[in-house]
Amino acid sequence: MTPINLEKETRTGWLVSCKQAALLVSLSFERRLSLREFIVMRLHLCLCKTCSFYRAQISVLRKVFIRHEELLDNVPPLEQDRLSLQAKERIRGALGRKG
Amino acid sequence: MQSPLAPKPLKASLSDPATWVDQHGDYLFRYAMMRLRNKDLAENMVQETFLAAITGKNSFSGRSTERTWMVGILKHKIIDHYRRDFREKTVTDLQGQQNDEEQTIDSFYDAAGDPRKFPKDWMPEPEALLHNKEFWETLQHCMGKLPQNTAHAFAMRELDDKDTGEICKELGITPTNLWVMLHRARLQLRECLERNWFDLKK
Repeated sequence: MTPINLEKETRTGWLVSCKQAALLVSLSFERRLSLREFIVMRLHLCLCKTCSFYRAQISVLRKVFIRHEELLDNVPPLEQDRLSLQAKERIRGALGRKG
Repeated sequence: MQSPLAPKPLKASLSDPATWVDQHGDYLFRYAMMRLRNKDLAENMVQETFLAAITGKNSFSGRSTERTWMVGILKHKIIDHYRRDFREKTVTDLQGQQNDEEQTIDSFYDAAGDPRKFPKDWMPEPEALLHNKEFWETLQHCMGKLPQNTAHAFAMRELDDKDTGEICKELGITPTNLWVMLHRARLQLRECLERNWFDLKK
């Protein structure tokens, strides 16, 4: 099994499938696309509403993830996101032995 | 020479370690949970962070807050953990994972390359999502469905905002490996979020 060949996947002409377009969209969040890749992606996005939604979704996720520390600072944790009482006890014990 | 305007070096001192669990425990735990999605592991990381803080207390300069300093320690411990998980994999494991990534990507499309489920307009309001703890709960649930190493790579990229080169170096993988993992993670997460969050909220 050969690994995904990005060159091959994205070099099948100017019009590509949604699958190939989505790969280019993901790539565009990681590195600068080549001119050809960029044109192929834009062309597909112009023609395809759902891939535009995909791109918008990835962009929202990135924005949300990057600011996740605001959640930690501002929103109290759900019960399952707190240390359990047992864990607190255990950690206090470990700190006591050390400190 | 020091400018007279430069702030005096602070006499940095940490608070009493006996108070740390109450002061920082929940915060550090949640921080670790987002990145590890495993309760026992996250608890251990919090404990190790506190122990390392006691050992290294002289390196606390007071330039940042005590909590920020501890988060820094925790961050390193988590990345060490990611690295160990990746290094433990044999070549065969990695090949298997690569195959799994590609099959998963394939599974979202039909033979013509059309999506089996078309992405919808989420009409997103990032601000609202950001402060919605149930959304984060769903997100964590969805991240928990990713294979461990894929989730690690995704967390480094999106939560820690590390660049591709740095992640590849830390984890010992190629850029193509990483791009494929991230792409798979995104396809799977968007599908899971749409099903478990956006579809239900409309």
